[in-house]
Amino acid sequence: MSSESNRIPGDDHSSNSPTMTTAAPPPSKPAGPPARPSSRRLPSSVLTPPVPPPTPHLDDYRSIIGTAQIDALRFLAADLKGKTVKMVNSTAVGGGVAEMLNRLVPLLSELEVPTHWEVITGGNDFFEVTKAFHNALHGAQYELTKHAQEIFLMYNEQNLQRMQFAEEVVVIHDPQPAALVRTKEKTSAKWIWRCHIDLSSPNAALWEFLRPFIEEYDAAIFSSQSFARQLPIPQYLFYPCIDPLSEKNKELDDSFIQKVCDDFGIDRSRPIVTQVSRFDRLKDPVGVVEAYKLAKKYVDCQLVLAGGGATDDPEGAVVLQEVKEAAGNDPDIIVLDLPPWCALEINAIQRASTLVIQKSLREGFGLTVTEALWKGKPTIAGAVGGIPNQVIHKLTGVLVHSVEGCAFQIRYLLTHPEFARRIGTSGREHVKENFLITTNVKRWLLLFGILAGSKPAPIAA
Amino acid sequence: MATAEQQLPLRKPDKPFYFNTSEHLLRIGRERAGTLAELLRALRECPDNSIFQHTFRTLQEHHFIRQGFSNDFAHWSLSACHEPILAEQLASVDVREFTEIAGLRARMVEIVEDFLQQHPRAAARPAHEPFFFCAADLVVMPTPFVPDTLPGFLDALRQVSVHSIHHHFIEARLRLKRMSNDFSQWLEEEMGLRHSALAIERIDIYTNTLEGVRQQIGRIVGQVLN
Repeated sequence: MSSESNRIPGDDHSSNSPTMTTAAPPPSKPAGPPARPSSRRLPSSVLTPPVPPPTPHLDDYRSIIGTAQIDALRFLAADLKGKTVKMVNSTAVGGGVAEMLNRLVPLLSELEVPTHWEVITGGNDFFEVTKAFHNALHGAQYELTKHAQEIFLMYNEQNLQRMQFAEEVVVIHDPQPAALVRTKEKTSAKWIWRCHIDLSSPNAALWEFLRPFIEEYDAAIFSSQSFARQLPIPQYLFYPCIDPLSEKNKELDDSFIQKVCDDFGIDRSRPIVTQVSRFDRLKDPVGVVEAYKLAKKYVDCQLVLAGGGATDDPEGAVVLQEVKEAAGNDPDIIVLDLPPWCALEINAIQRASTLVIQKSLREGFGLTVTEALWKGKPTIAGAVGGIPNQVIHKLTGVLVHSVEGCAFQIRYLLTHPEFARRIGTSGREHVKENFLITTNVKRWLLLFGILAGSKPAPIAA
Repeated sequence: MATAEQQLPLRKPDKPFYFNTSEHLLRIGRERAGTLAELLRALRECPDNSIFQHTFRTLQEHHFIRQGFSNDFAHWSLSACHEPILAEQLASVDVREFTEIAGLRARMVEIVEDFLQQHPRAAARPAHEPFFFCAADLVVMPTPFVPDTLPGFLDALRQVSVHSIHHHFIEARLRLKRMSNDFSQWLEEEMGLRHSALAIERIDIYTNTLEGVRQQIGRIVGQVLN
């Protein structure tokens, strides 16, 4: 399909247009694709947000996960018939949690597990406090004041007065609404805390403040084993997931992939090595450029660094400048600062790539890795955060710990296409088995069932 | 092998084959290990569900890998502790040789104990990353497939999920308490296909993906039908 069909017509606003840049003069080669200018505007098709596509239905996933898996979901849901669920978080748009709930809630409801999604309200002071909480739970320096505690509790209490909890299961996402659990005794619901953030080294005082609330829940869910805390309640592991039917991940016509490559000056006749990520030092884009330069001494390839964050984040702009300086005048380094709605274009670039890199120095889970694996791409990734859950070294991808290691793997994978193909195929299967939204729907259904009283089968069942 | 069975008329089974499947939820356990000594302690103390998760169940989660993946303890010994000898020894443990978790646990403990006796300095060396023990909460479910003929069995085998193959072919030992699997048991007891049952039992799950296992079972049953 064409990306054009989903786009809202609009003018090109040159004053704030994201740009595609390379720091290079036109290539000196006599043959090959047209020379890229040192800086040029993105094609007009990506300058305005597209109309959101319709939400997929369960049956739309049948061709991906198979009838047997759809049947399993329906069976698990049938046991829950009549039970209702409420999901509560702190934002309706933007951010991974809202994006995930936008897909999860309709699928659960379609499975006749009516699921209501409510968003808590709060003033700027509340969100300033919870933003600081978020950073402190990730380990940032923070002094928990009495005032911050009062603001947190006051807004949770205000929301409690406004909200009703008539459902059988209540799922609270992240710390912002965590204190809503104070009303648990007045309800008959099972309460679950879904923590999407890394609690492996939280600010101690803040964690001691939050811990009594968390211990009131019937269960907690974390995105990684290492994020969990010692708690007296059962803790479950739900990996983050991708939607294979989203704009970022759905299958694309080759003609569209070709158009995107043409628009961005990417030559599909030569190997393409890509990293998709914000221009953020923790993603080490400069390290990727260095690895590419080391590898380029041995193998021909282009490097595409596609991301965003340079226009709305001052640090992102600095990092983008550092990347351009590191790229120097190499015409084969293509740096794309894309607006956030360019999911289809990112998808096309990933699909056109020969290899995908995610050389993060620190990472939560790394959904860009999941996206690359899903597209069957041989993937080179930093062995940090949740990446080793996805990239099993030499089986579903390769893990690296340095620029030199990354360079070697680029050389190796480009010169051993059979091995590259094998890990790419296994990587896709790994995502299919463990990291798709349908697997997450199944996890939710299993957990709801267990909390509703369905006893897990003994091992020898 | 199946040649003799190909010449016999097929028996009508008294009982159909009930294809079930199982799904699991991962619970994060209390035990974690940052060294091999801690791994040994946790192996002795963790619940049966944890041993099950990191051996039987992990095979299902990684069913698409043909080589190099056996169980989580072996994988961690190599990737986080850089102990290839221990990793090879742990990887050589075939879960299908055990009909009870207790026996499997004892074998894992024995291997780590022996290794640490021979390599005492390895016991306290910090791993690159900790091993977090998890446990599987299991839910067994029926499927629509209840064949009572051999062609029906073959047709169903091709349509069920690989989770169902894992349930009947690998996990079945813990249920049957014998060195067999649900497919072989049904083919032998209900259809009188002893040679086919033995041939299926001999399929190597460590050099095949679960799809490969499905295809091999299909070939063996198909030979009888042909």
